[in-house]
Amino acid sequence: MPDLEKLHAAVIEGDWKAAAAVTHAAIARGVAPLTIVGCLVPAMDEVGRLFECEEYFVPEMLLSARAMKASMEIVRPLLAAAGTEPVGRVVIGTVKGDLHDIGKNLVASMLEGGGFEVIDLGADVAPERFIEAATARHANLVALSALLTVTMPSMKTTVDAFQAAGLREQVKIMVGGAPVTQQYADAIGADGYSESAAGAVALARKLVVV
Amino acid sequence: MRLKLIGCEVLFREMCHACAHSPHQVDVEFLPKGLHDLGGKPMAAKIQEAVDRTPEGVYQAILLGYGLCGNGLEGLTARHTRLVLPRAHDCIALLLGSHERYQAYFADNPGTFYRSTGWLERGQGLQQLTHHTTGFDESLETLIGKYGEDNGRYLYEEMTRYRAQYRKLTFIETGLEADGKFIAEAAAEAKEKGWSFERMPGDLAWIGRMVEGEWTEAEFVVAEPGQRIAASYDNRVVKVRT
Repeated sequence: MPDLEKLHAAVIEGDWKAAAAVTHAAIARGVAPLTIVGCLVPAMDEVGRLFECEEYFVPEMLLSARAMKASMEIVRPLLAAAGTEPVGRVVIGTVKGDLHDIGKNLVASMLEGGGFEVIDLGADVAPERFIEAATARHANLVALSALLTVTMPSMKTTVDAFQAAGLREQVKIMVGGAPVTQQYADAIGADGYSESAAGAVALARKLVVV
Repeated sequence: MRLKLIGCEVLFREMCHACAHSPHQVDVEFLPKGLHDLGGKPMAAKIQEAVDRTPEGVYQAILLGYGLCGNGLEGLTARHTRLVLPRAHDCIALLLGSHERYQAYFADNPGTFYRSTGWLERGQGLQQLTHHTTGFDESLETLIGKYGEDNGRYLYEEMTRYRAQYRKLTFIETGLEADGKFIAEAAAEAKEKGWSFERMPGDLAWIGRMVEGEWTEAEFVVAEPGQRIAASYDNRVVKVRT
């Protein structure tokens, strides 16, 4: 389908204006919003691969994410109007004490492209705020990010806080960030760990399946 | 004892000062600032190369002038000579003199950017340009030149937004500063980025104990030949694995 190929290309090339234009044109031609959304995550997966191969750097990734978001902006209200249920509801944030958010922002964008309703709490988020948001918005997934080994302990305190509040069974908790490892995720009782933003979407989808 | 110190150049002045006062003979090798920008595994590989270059039978220990540094010391293996590493998350803990002092200050002062003599003067123009770091600290003009007016401006906003999220620049003063230039430079950086500025006294005793051979279990991890260093995910920061 030519529209979707052009949208895929616009995301890869980081051209948000083209992404928006192609999205408008596709909708005008009757392409279903979900079909449009369905091409965004594969496009970002490709961007992720280009980053891992060191062909793309952070600026290129940000521009691709911008293009994806431009398409999502147009499609989102149509999905809502059609009553499309999200695949899951995820509360995402960088943990207490940590201000790094670029990676977290990328994951948030990709989760939305992957069909999730995303509640992004930003950075330096205390455990209580994760709990509050997850409860208020009926989230079934919590995604924690940390970029420093100094702040990783906040991941454990967040998991423990959900446990202490009697809410641990109601949400799945996934973790990520440069110094985080599968071993650490297991040690703190998280439900999953992803090494990459693209992997985070696949993991999130797996975790919300009942 | 005869000791080999492999350290980060960010700690150059502090390490040299400690070595000069040590009762032991310390041979020193500094590795470039910013290895942590490469990521944990690549940094560990670089440090392992330096460890592996160390001749056998010459030194009683190889001292590592690092902290865990974002897992940059994870997996480091002792070959023929034992390795000694402070139980520190990073160099800031070393400059402040204890893990506890760093944890407490960090928790009470979120949004703090740390500077020291090495952080200011070392590695100028040698920023580790990797796919993780390229683009940061580029000017608006450069980004517009590369990506066009619209995308360039967008990238500049995205990549400098962290400045608004940080609130303070803390300069760790060790007493080794020969004149006021470091303080002045740090204060100027804080002003340029819209942050408040604080001077905090460092404490070089922990670094001192490393080069003096006082490797208490509480403060240092020692990897004997064949053992490797690993993150411990607790307040001890690091441990050894066989």
